[in-house]
Amino acid sequence: MQRPQQNRYKRRRIYVRRKVCRFCADKSLVADYKQPELLKGFITERGKILPRRVTGTCAKHQRRLTNAIKKARIMALLPFTSGHAIE
Amino acid sequence: MKLRHYEAMFLLHPDLSTEDRESAVEKFSNIIKNDGGQIVNIDQWPLRKLAYKVQKQTQGYYIVMDFGAPGSAIEELTRNFRLDEGVMKFMTSKLNDEFDPVEAAKKYTQKPSEESAGEAEKETQEAGSEGKEE
Repeated sequence: MQRPQQNRYKRRRIYVRRKVCRFCADKSLVADYKQPELLKGFITERGKILPRRVTGTCAKHQRRLTNAIKKARIMALLPFTSGHAIE
Repeated sequence: MKLRHYEAMFLLHPDLSTEDRESAVEKFSNIIKNDGGQIVNIDQWPLRKLAYKVQKQTQGYYIVMDFGAPGSAIEELTRNFRLDEGVMKFMTSKLNDEFDPVEAAKKYTQKPSEESAGEAEKETQEAGSEGKEE
């Protein structure tokens, strides 16, 4: 009973496209807390930081990214949660 | 005295007039200069919406100062940020342990050409989804 299901799962995996770290692809791009518009792409609608497995960011840049997002939150450039956000 | 490279960002109250903001910027830059620091660049952002309410305000003026200063200047700067009623939020971060005024200024003199080149690249790559201008 279980075997066919497993096969189907495996076949579906093939279609997953390999994501590339955006900061590695574009060397001029730096995770900076002063650019909230850029950082917005790496948080959820609720304001949570997206994991690496979703965005494809490499470990080195994810560390810098989290720091930048946290700094931006402190300066009210990004929301901590959507509950406190304006609008 | 040894200078280190710092960046200070602070948020001013939206009800302040242009003159009030100018005098606040001058006050803080004088604190840095008086302690032997050097200002590289001051960036005043236009009125901006905040991500969440700060002191019941929904918008404010951000100012970013890029400078080299000895550690004692930061103490004095922080104390004055706290005292000033117009400052709603502030954050000083160290960019580098060494301060080289020539190297630091390069970032701002080269920027126009670099930015236009970078933006053109991005537009072709992903049709300007960056919103860097804002």
